[in-house]
Amino acid sequence: MTAATAIEVRDLTKVYGKVRAVDSVTFTVEPGRVTGFLGPNGAGKSTTMRLVLGLDRPTSGTATIGGRPYATLTEPLRQVGALLDAGAAHGSRTARGHLAALAASNRIPDRRVAEVLEMTGIAKAADRRVKTFSLGMRQRLGIAAALLGDPPVLMLDEPSNGLDPEGIIWIRELLRQLAGEGRTVLVSSHLMGETAAFAEHLIVLGRGQVLADTPMKDFIASRVRPRVRVRTSEDERLRALLKEHGYDPVRSDDGRWHVDDAEVDAIGPLAARAGIPILELAAEEATLEQAYLDLTASATEFTAVPQEA
Amino acid sequence: MPATAVLRSEWIKIKTLRGTVWSLAAVLLLTVGFSAFANGAFGEAESDNGDFDPLFSVFIGMSPGQIAAIAFGTLALSSEYVSGGIRASLAAVPRRGAFYAAKLANVAGLAFAIGLLTTFGSFFLSGALLGEKALSIGDDGALRACVGGAAYLALMAVFATGLTAVLRSGMAVLSILIPFILVVSFVIGTGAAGVADYLPDRAGQQIIYADPPASLNPWAGLAVTAAWAAAAALAGWWSLRRRDA
Repeated sequence: MTAATAIEVRDLTKVYGKVRAVDSVTFTVEPGRVTGFLGPNGAGKSTTMRLVLGLDRPTSGTATIGGRPYATLTEPLRQVGALLDAGAAHGSRTARGHLAALAASNRIPDRRVAEVLEMTGIAKAADRRVKTFSLGMRQRLGIAAALLGDPPVLMLDEPSNGLDPEGIIWIRELLRQLAGEGRTVLVSSHLMGETAAFAEHLIVLGRGQVLADTPMKDFIASRVRPRVRVRTSEDERLRALLKEHGYDPVRSDDGRWHVDDAEVDAIGPLAARAGIPILELAAEEATLEQAYLDLTASATEFTAVPQEA
Repeated sequence: MPATAVLRSEWIKIKTLRGTVWSLAAVLLLTVGFSAFANGAFGEAESDNGDFDPLFSVFIGMSPGQIAAIAFGTLALSSEYVSGGIRASLAAVPRRGAFYAAKLANVAGLAFAIGLLTTFGSFFLSGALLGEKALSIGDDGALRACVGGAAYLALMAVFATGLTAVLRSGMAVLSILIPFILVVSFVIGTGAAGVADYLPDRAGQQIIYADPPASLNPWAGLAVTAAWAAAAALAGWWSLRRRDA
């Protein structure tokens, strides 16, 4: 039994000409946590979101929200808030005018327009035309539009795009707060470091396919390998010792040894017992970003091959 | 989702965009202004010509005015295709039929309302300037020309909105329709009568003549324009319903 506000995607496929932009994608986005929707550019994240919103028609498969296709929702802004390409607002309209038109279509009271302008920090610019906005302000306007109907489900495509550092912290806290209130929050990004800062769950897409659908902490535990950096005055003895204990040390140009799948807690005592002088010993965790890149590497390799248009 | 909510939303979109507001104002200003100028300056001299038409004369400004009506109908929808606004609009109103119908209803309703101000304004102001040859509103065809002329402007605006839904670019629609109305229709019209009577602009314009030059009677002519507008609106609906936003 799935929650009434879960986003469910089943066998979703979208083919443009010969390109399978989304290829048999299946996942469920649960309420109460932020789900990071990660993948390199062109992996199919935005297409998937447009399919969920009924903006594009799937070649096959289904996407539903609380069991219903988006197009059948009555007053959908009250159920799902979406941010797509930097707000999608006409440059000649004011921020207030843009939001007022959207609000009217779903019978959302005008006072809510003022509220979301305030919440997103663009109330002072409400009566300026959108074309005078910076990318960061447009992004805030798009988020304001997503929040208009106070929806239990939010889908945000690259919300931190164009935001300044202060804005990035703001969006991070906002996302966590929204999920904390029990909402379903799906946030796409192509940056792992950023996503790790707010997502509890992770769905990784590559070349239109789901590469991972896992809690963030499991992703870290299973994919981020510990690594140790060590320097000694007796290179040969250290290498032999480590080999003997099943490690595979690699010497770098600067004279340090790098040992994969090793912890400082193990290497330090080992060297001490053997009486090998250690000049430097440090944990060097392969980054989360690296783990993500490793995962998507196979998916992007193909795209690096020159293709005929 | 109640239709009134979507209608109101589309009305807000039109009134919050300078382009749509000004093009609508231009229908009134261009038509009344041009008619007044022409009748004030040349009306009396022209009225002695054999082919002088006392109704067409006071509506002479509808030639530039209809371009503004077309621009209005185009901008009302093409503005959705600028910077991806159509996605926000269709996410708010996913029933595309409701969205499109509300858009067309606003275009038609506003163009007709402004059209009435335009035709009656032209009739009385230009009539006063034209002098003794001018018809009064009670004369044969005068009321028909005022109401029908407003309907003609509304139909041309809807025609443009429908084409915009097909082509999804205001620039494309205007660069087809404006030369068509200014040049093609005029050239064909003077050359090959008969076929030209059924062009969208020429057919409908029979409604603003006291003595229509074409083979169609005024209401039949307006019906032909209505058929063009309906065909464009349906083609637009077909395109909007099928395509990805």
